[in-house]
Amino acid sequence: MATASETICLLSPEGVLVESEMTERLLPLIEALPEERLLDFHRQMAVTRRLDVEASHLQRQGQLALWIPSIGQEGAQVGSGYAARQQDHIFPAYREHAVARIRGVDLMRLIELLRGLDHGGWDPAAHGNFHLYTLVIGSQTLHATGYAMGIGLDGASGTGDPERDEAVMVYFGDGATSQGDVSEALVFAASYQTPQVFFLQNNHWAISVPVSRQSRTPLVRRASGFGIPGLQIDGNDVLAAYAVTRVALDDARAGKGPRFIEALTYRIGAHTTSDDPSKYRDEAELAYWQARDPIARYETYLRGRGVADAFFAEVAEEGEALAADMRRRTLALGPPPQSKVFAHVYTDPHPLIAEQQTWLEHYERSFGGEA
Amino acid sequence: MTETWTMTKALNEGLRRSMRDDERVLLMGEDIGRLGGVFRVTEGLQAEFGEQRVMDTPLAESGIVGSAIGLAMRGWRPVCEIQFDGFVYPAFDQITSQLAKQTYRHAGSQSFPVVIRIPYGGHIGAVEHHQESPETYFAHTPGLRVISPATPHDAYWMIQEAIAGNDPVIFLEPKSRYWPRGEVDLAASGIGVHASRIVRRGTDVTLIGHGAMVATLLAAAEIAEQEGTSAEVVDLRSLSPIDYGPLIESVRRTGRAVVAQEAPQHVSVGSEIAATIAERAFYSLQAPVLRVSGFDTPFPPAKLEGVYLPDADRVLEAVDRALAY
Amino acid sequence: MTIARFPLPDVGEGLTEAEIVSWRVAPGDRVELNQAICEIETAKSLVELPSPFAGIVVELLAAEGDTVDVGAPIIAVDTEEASEAPAEPSPADVAAETATDAAATVAEEDEGSGAVLVGYGTTGNVQSRRHRLARAVPATAAASVIAKPPIRNLARELGVDLAVVMPTGLAGEILREDVIRHAEQAKVFHNLETPEAPVDREERIPVKGMRKAIATAMVRSKFTAPHVSEFTEVNATRTMELVKRLKASPDFAGVRVSPLLIMAKAVIWAIRRNPMVNSTWTDEEIIVHHYVNLGIAAATPRGLIVPNIKDAQDLSMRELAEALEQLTLTAREGRTTPQDMQGGTVTITNVGSFGVDTGTAILNPGEVSIMVLGAIRQKPWVVDGEVRPAYVTTVSGAFDHRVVDGDVISRFISDVASVIEEPALLLD
Repeated sequence: MATASETICLLSPEGVLVESEMTERLLPLIEALPEERLLDFHRQMAVTRRLDVEASHLQRQGQLALWIPSIGQEGAQVGSGYAARQQDHIFPAYREHAVARIRGVDLMRLIELLRGLDHGGWDPAAHGNFHLYTLVIGSQTLHATGYAMGIGLDGASGTGDPERDEAVMVYFGDGATSQGDVSEALVFAASYQTPQVFFLQNNHWAISVPVSRQSRTPLVRRASGFGIPGLQIDGNDVLAAYAVTRVALDDARAGKGPRFIEALTYRIGAHTTSDDPSKYRDEAELAYWQARDPIARYETYLRGRGVADAFFAEVAEEGEALAADMRRRTLALGPPPQSKVFAHVYTDPHPLIAEQQTWLEHYERSFGGEA
Repeated sequence: MTETWTMTKALNEGLRRSMRDDERVLLMGEDIGRLGGVFRVTEGLQAEFGEQRVMDTPLAESGIVGSAIGLAMRGWRPVCEIQFDGFVYPAFDQITSQLAKQTYRHAGSQSFPVVIRIPYGGHIGAVEHHQESPETYFAHTPGLRVISPATPHDAYWMIQEAIAGNDPVIFLEPKSRYWPRGEVDLAASGIGVHASRIVRRGTDVTLIGHGAMVATLLAAAEIAEQEGTSAEVVDLRSLSPIDYGPLIESVRRTGRAVVAQEAPQHVSVGSEIAATIAERAFYSLQAPVLRVSGFDTPFPPAKLEGVYLPDADRVLEAVDRALAY
Repeated sequence: MTIARFPLPDVGEGLTEAEIVSWRVAPGDRVELNQAICEIETAKSLVELPSPFAGIVVELLAAEGDTVDVGAPIIAVDTEEASEAPAEPSPADVAAETATDAAATVAEEDEGSGAVLVGYGTTGNVQSRRHRLARAVPATAAASVIAKPPIRNLARELGVDLAVVMPTGLAGEILREDVIRHAEQAKVFHNLETPEAPVDREERIPVKGMRKAIATAMVRSKFTAPHVSEFTEVNATRTMELVKRLKASPDFAGVRVSPLLIMAKAVIWAIRRNPMVNSTWTDEEIIVHHYVNLGIAAATPRGLIVPNIKDAQDLSMRELAEALEQLTLTAREGRTTPQDMQGGTVTITNVGSFGVDTGTAILNPGEVSIMVLGAIRQKPWVVDGEVRPAYVTTVSGAFDHRVVDGDVISRFISDVASVIEEPALLLD
């Protein structure tokens, strides 16, 4: 694992607050949070994980074509997810299920996507400004940069009012940093000084290719190459993820330019349900990271603060209930209408689409009875 | 009211008008701001509209198109310039995997009114990558609209219509037609942006083409006239969608069709047109639909472009063959 | 007992089968939702399958070591006690559904034809086709001559002018047989070639047989009955449209429909209104026939014959069409009997079928009228003051002036022409 000179960590893997110069500056942001929010961190991480596990089961039972596990990355996602303000725009890759939930996206949208019912299809404006999953690696970084450029042109950032100034957060992985589009996004962001945070979840694997094949230097160092300030954090530390991202987003929205955060974390599960990590990873590495689990350490921390058993039990129950509900709703999903093939190819009417849709309707009507 | 303008001037004026009409329209591309574009199409526009709306971007085609997508999500109407046809390929993924599919992926909750202007085609004696005809790749991609004006009048109007529309548009500018002047009717376009148009009436054969090829077809028709063959010429104007109405109506009268293009023949727009005419005008055809195209080689060094590009003689050779049936 | 079966899912985006490596449960075991029940090996990896239901295992439907197709059920569980409803076998994608269907027919072991290159394989399961209801409707045709390129080619080779060929295709197109038929008849009625100059100064042909019979009959007819011919040009577009619609109608499936059919009906109808034309002159009396034995002049290489359809007035449109077809076939095959040719009361000669506009015909002996149906061509026609293309033909006839005068003749011709112009009159 390539660490930078300082990997920011507020909460150790053992669940204890870390005293240091860096944490001294950041802890006030944690202290400023209401207790409810601190409990939310756990709730979101635990429930997302429970739903993630259920979704994997559903895939193995033939209900989904694919599931993309986020297990192990809950700390980075929940911390950064809560750091964003309501007016911000989030551009995910395709594994940010916890961020989706925090922004108000019903995970059934993801279920429908991975069941093959649509390509996403939710309206970001009606879903907490959480944009669609992008499956082409790294492409979303350019869209996010363009969006942030647009915010700048609108004068909707840099006014000095953090409640209204907008910022963009874009998520991408260690594999993505090799893609040209990501470099181009960093070029444009730096050139136009966009109100944008590049949030890199370095989960150490791009399917079967380790991050050492993507880079010979800690990925956070790329940022300064583009003239963008970057910080590396312990990505399994939800408090660090929250605090550092909060500062970065607020700096960006204040007009100080883009920021870059590398969150060191680990993909506990497979790349997707089509993948078999046992073919390329060793148990020892997995065990090392399991010992650094974001949920376990945070639970320890909360208990240390006096949070009772009842809370954790209630969250677990909530997880079970939501999982059962997700299962029920998944099993109830019917096939999409044939007309969906032709829906929304263009915004304005298009003769070829109309022609082919009409053809298909006639074609279907020409069949009688059962095959 | 009419003006006599070069296509470059017509595009410049069209862009200016669009930017005045809608303050959400912005231009982005390499060298388009201070320099006014390598072909001067955007000359004077940064001075009038400012650096924020006429942006000199970093040298990154994928970045230009990708960030344009993000800008469109924010409600802007970006008009990107790709400096030359051969340089569009780095942006190919953002155009085909992203821009073309965004409306579909969003199930219609947003539209993506991004225009990508690309100077294309040969006849300018340039080096490699500067004389390509990549229209087939984009016409083949669902979700994109692809148009190409052949005259200054069409350039003036079609660029405005492309910007005003709500879908992604690949706007192909035949650079060998940038400098010849033509009349531009400033009052009205007179025709839909995707409509094809019969530009010369004839009875014996229908010649079909787009962009720079239209001038070549008209020249061939003049020569044919002297030889006693009356050729009808159709300007496609739009490659996706293609307005087949006038084409089929013409072929029903003439019974013979020749489609000409600078692009290589194998799996080209011309091939699609030939197949469709055969399907829709089968009983009217006296001869198979013939194609005249660039050879299936990379675009050759400039000294050989005269050999490679279809000229009036190559068009007339096909006309002779069609008439021999 | 509510038995739920778990079909083997596609766990890896396009896998078609997997091997059961090991079972974690046995019949009789209680199993929880999501509990790992077996391990399978796919092309990609070793995968644990979680149970989609809670209940009691009834049966393991595949054994360890078996390779199972995606979609085939692998375990049966009694879910009655469970609160969850058993999962419908509604796997994620269409491919899996197809696999389920395929799996259901596995038992039949229906092999493909095998008539495929090695490597491409017909891997069992001959698929069947979805049953179509309607026949494909041919595309609408152009206004001018309609013929596919090979037919044009044939016409050119045979020297046939497509503009005069009567089309019999469903879309109004000229078929191969139309061209060939025309060419055959053309050989009879057109000179296709100029023969070599004869060597002899003269050729003498004995007058006998059919030639003698025809000559006798024609002389008798022409030089006993004073012939009067009248002609009228008519817009036959509606007749052509009716012919096209009848051809496409299931009621007329399998029988030839042509303008001659409409002409025949027109003549029968007009005879009802002008009975004198359907009679026989003897020196003592005129016998007006209250039946129509409709003769159709049939050209054969041996000469002209006129077989007739007995009591044509009683036939339905379809029956008449069948009778016309039968008559033509019989004549072509040379099997027309003397009885077929006796007792005719009126004749139609169809010169149109060989591209001729009209003519003055000679009456069939014993008859008073002979109608001539000419070629139906597209010509300019004035409709509401505008010149438009229309299908135009000449209706004409020759009549025995001993029996009928000009007024009757004109009214009869006019009546026939009216029907050609507006076939709906036949509904009267």
